Amino acid sequence: MTLPLSGRIFIANDNICLIFKRSYKYIMYATKQPSLRINQADLQCKEGCGFYGNADWDGYCSKCYRNHMEQARRKKLKQAANAQSGHQGESSKSQVSGFTKFEEKKRQQTDKKTKYFKSLPVFKKTSSAKDIGKPEKYAGLRQSNDPDADKLKTEFLSKYKYLGDEIRRDFLRFSDSFIRQILEDTNVKPVDELAEIAQKRYNVYNTRINSYHLYQQVSAEVRAELEDFLEKYTMTALYTSLFCPSSTNDEDKDLSIQDRIRKLTWVNAHHLDCCISETSLEVRDLVYTAINDLLGMDSVKAPQEKLQCVVKCCRSVVEVLQHCQGGPVSADEFLPALIFVVLKANPARLKSNILYVTRFCKESRLMQGEAGYYFTNLCCAVSFIENLTAESLNMPEQEFQSYMSGEMTTVSAWDSALVACEGMHQLCEHLSLLNNLNERNISIQEEKNKLMEEMNALKEDIKRKVSSVLESTPLVIKPRKSISVTDEKPSGGSLLSNIAIATHNSENIDKTKLTLDLTPCIKFPCIIEDNIEEDNVLKPSLSADLLSPFEQSFEGTTPDDNSILGLSKVNYDIDLSDLSAENSMAEALTPEKRFSPTPSYTPDPFSPVGTTCTITQQPLIPSSVPLQMTVQKEPQQIKDDFVAPFLEDLTRETAEETLLDKIEATPTINLPPPINPIKTEYSGFSKQGWKIPSIPCNTGDYSSLSSQPGTSKQDE
Amino acid sequence: MRTVCGKVVVLGLQGVGKTTTVTRYIQKTFIQTKTPTIGASFFSCKVEIGDVCVKLQIWDTAGQERFKAMAPMFYRNANAALLLFDITNYDSFESMKGWVQELRRNVFETMLLCVVGNKIDLHDMRKVSKDEALQYANSIGATYHEVSAKTDQGVGLVFEFIAHELIKLSGEDLNHTLKVYENVEDHEVNKSSEQLATETGVVENVNLSIDSIAHGKSIRSKCC
Repeated sequence: MTLPLSGRIFIANDNICLIFKRSYKYIMYATKQPSLRINQADLQCKEGCGFYGNADWDGYCSKCYRNHMEQARRKKLKQAANAQSGHQGESSKSQVSGFTKFEEKKRQQTDKKTKYFKSLPVFKKTSSAKDIGKPEKYAGLRQSNDPDADKLKTEFLSKYKYLGDEIRRDFLRFSDSFIRQILEDTNVKPVDELAEIAQKRYNVYNTRINSYHLYQQVSAEVRAELEDFLEKYTMTALYTSLFCPSSTNDEDKDLSIQDRIRKLTWVNAHHLDCCISETSLEVRDLVYTAINDLLGMDSVKAPQEKLQCVVKCCRSVVEVLQHCQGGPVSADEFLPALIFVVLKANPARLKSNILYVTRFCKESRLMQGEAGYYFTNLCCAVSFIENLTAESLNMPEQEFQSYMSGEMTTVSAWDSALVACEGMHQLCEHLSLLNNLNERNISIQEEKNKLMEEMNALKEDIKRKVSSVLESTPLVIKPRKSISVTDEKPSGGSLLSNIAIATHNSENIDKTKLTLDLTPCIKFPCIIEDNIEEDNVLKPSLSADLLSPFEQSFEGTTPDDNSILGLSKVNYDIDLSDLSAENSMAEALTPEKRFSPTPSYTPDPFSPVGTTCTITQQPLIPSSVPLQMTVQKEPQQIKDDFVAPFLEDLTRETAEETLLDKIEATPTINLPPPINPIKTEYSGFSKQGWKIPSIPCNTGDYSSLSSQPGTSKQDE
Repeated sequence: MRTVCGKVVVLGLQGVGKTTTVTRYIQKTFIQTKTPTIGASFFSCKVEIGDVCVKLQIWDTAGQERFKAMAPMFYRNANAALLLFDITNYDSFESMKGWVQELRRNVFETMLLCVVGNKIDLHDMRKVSKDEALQYANSIGATYHEVSAKTDQGVGLVFEFIAHELIKLSGEDLNHTLKVYENVEDHEVNKSSEQLATETGVVENVNLSIDSIAHGKSIRSKCC
């Protein structure tokens, strides 16, 4: 047994020797590189052929490098053939170790001797400019385009910045030569040999890191970290070429095990004598976690990361078992559970992953520690699945066969649990959705009720306010009555008519109407009484509206207007107070004008010939003497006097507007004769107001309306 | 301070109390100081004997007959084997014998064998006499202990004995996977030469095939 083994060892040691030689040369070359600027000869091929060398080719030119490699290979083959005895291998090994030591020493010496230290400050100067970019330039001879590897590299450079350029450069140099070597051999050598190379490289770095003076200051932990990082970095970079390589039948194995697992779907925990209770929800969740962890193995690249996934998975399995049975978990229970998880997970490329880890993970990691233990268990599980027989499941051969052929199908608890779980899951989701909807519905109901209450309250409030306003209005009417009493002087029937208007107004519960009717004159006292803010707001706007058209209407008018305009400006402030006392008049005005304007105006534009005109002129004449009187009596009358365009303006305006305008107009004109005369004037208005209710009775009065009361009476 | 790292594999038929024995020891000795992964079937603990620190890695194995084929994966590279049987169950004793044979067939490195009869608290139901077991143990060059994991009798002794033997082993023989570190100044120097470790590593790697191991094929046949 020992003979062929030692032969292998011999090759291995020779490999190490070669690696060392190569890396040594490479290092030599690289250490000299900073001095390139100084000595151009260093750029040339080491063979001295006159061509330029390249760091990629260990300092040789392309041709010499090829020759050199060929020679090395031949030499190695010859040595392998010559290796006959373990003793020989042993001796050569010791030679090798001696040689490596010698090389190491020599290198250190040369390091001192050559311009290494001289060039060091030079390098440092240049490197200080771009700290990370520099090492890449020197050691970064990119063969791998793996973004993950590049990421790791930058991570390395930043993480171990404190170690200084030397170590980092050494590390990268080593790893890059490692990567390069493997890449070179990928298509030449079988994967097992590559694995050997990788393992040797790990060991070489281990020796190097423990003996090389450069690493003397580095603590043991960091050394271990660096070793791990070397493995991680190189394997990530080489992942594509080393994972499931085309030279092997790993892929077929993957497919076969996948197929195998698929055929074994009927195997349940009971078959495996495993205590996983498939129906428990928590247990199922934990199993899912374990499965996820196991599936994650395929998505990471470095062997150690893959191992970590296995460890995580196994820990979840342990948790599952602890959940199921409690107490410490023995391997007797653990392994079946793991097999169950693997069967249910059916991970992609399972075999490739396992083989990759076995080949390229550092030996020590697999041989010991928790990761090693769990990985061994996983390998066991896989091999169990591969070699699963009826016997291993403790079932009759026939039953096993019928299961495998698909003749017999069991509704496995797991599957049914999955189905049930799906159903249950949906049910739960729907229930929660319904609950949610129900809650929302209730809240909406509550909101609705609240809104209803609010609305009711508002309604009540409004009712109350309206009633209060209504209450206030009769109060307003009372002074009007007194006015109407004054009005009675000219006409006895006016009182009745006023009352009728008042009632008419009170009947108008419609708020808007009220406001409209009341605003110009009555409202203001009301406001004061009831403190209704809204009305306060309304007041100025309305008054402004009222004012503006009026002014416009007057603008185009005769010189008489000047006095009127001047008055209007002044009025505006005073109007309200004045009017407040004489609401009744306003009330009388408004309804009256509603009804009256159209008939009264219409005749005017057509012809001044009408009887109205003749009559209106009569008041005009006195108006010139007691100005106020005539104007107030009827703006229409004034308009009659005016030119046609003015009337047209008025007619164009809506009934309400005109009304309002006039209402304002009347007070404006009222102003100059403050108190006593006004009443007399109002009486004039009141007469008109009086006439409005009388309209239903005497339709033909309109013409007479404009005229003096006396005439109207006569008409009646 | 010298540090010896050893791997101990626990073998035995299902139900002989492998895990109980191990957890008994771990819990009793280490639960106060350091909490190892209790509940898992893998344990790692440190035993200090004199000026030597022994790091023990205890690998529990599944004892069922159907997993027997996988056992080589576990006892590969192990430095010591704890062979447990139940004194009230003669089958377990016979099965333990089978383990010993398998180990002798497959393992070529020095491996400490430690036969342990468990459940001595049930001595009324004893099926395997102490003499028989002792005789057998001597015949295979192993030591024999009797313990009770339930009542915690002699469990600690077994592990201490293993630790002692491992130290002895590390002193006399370098050609095995037992790793010995000597703390010199501030950095560890591997006492067993790195080359040797590499060598065994290489050998193992070549033969590390799940199929071959799982099927219980001997490593020797694979190599030649």
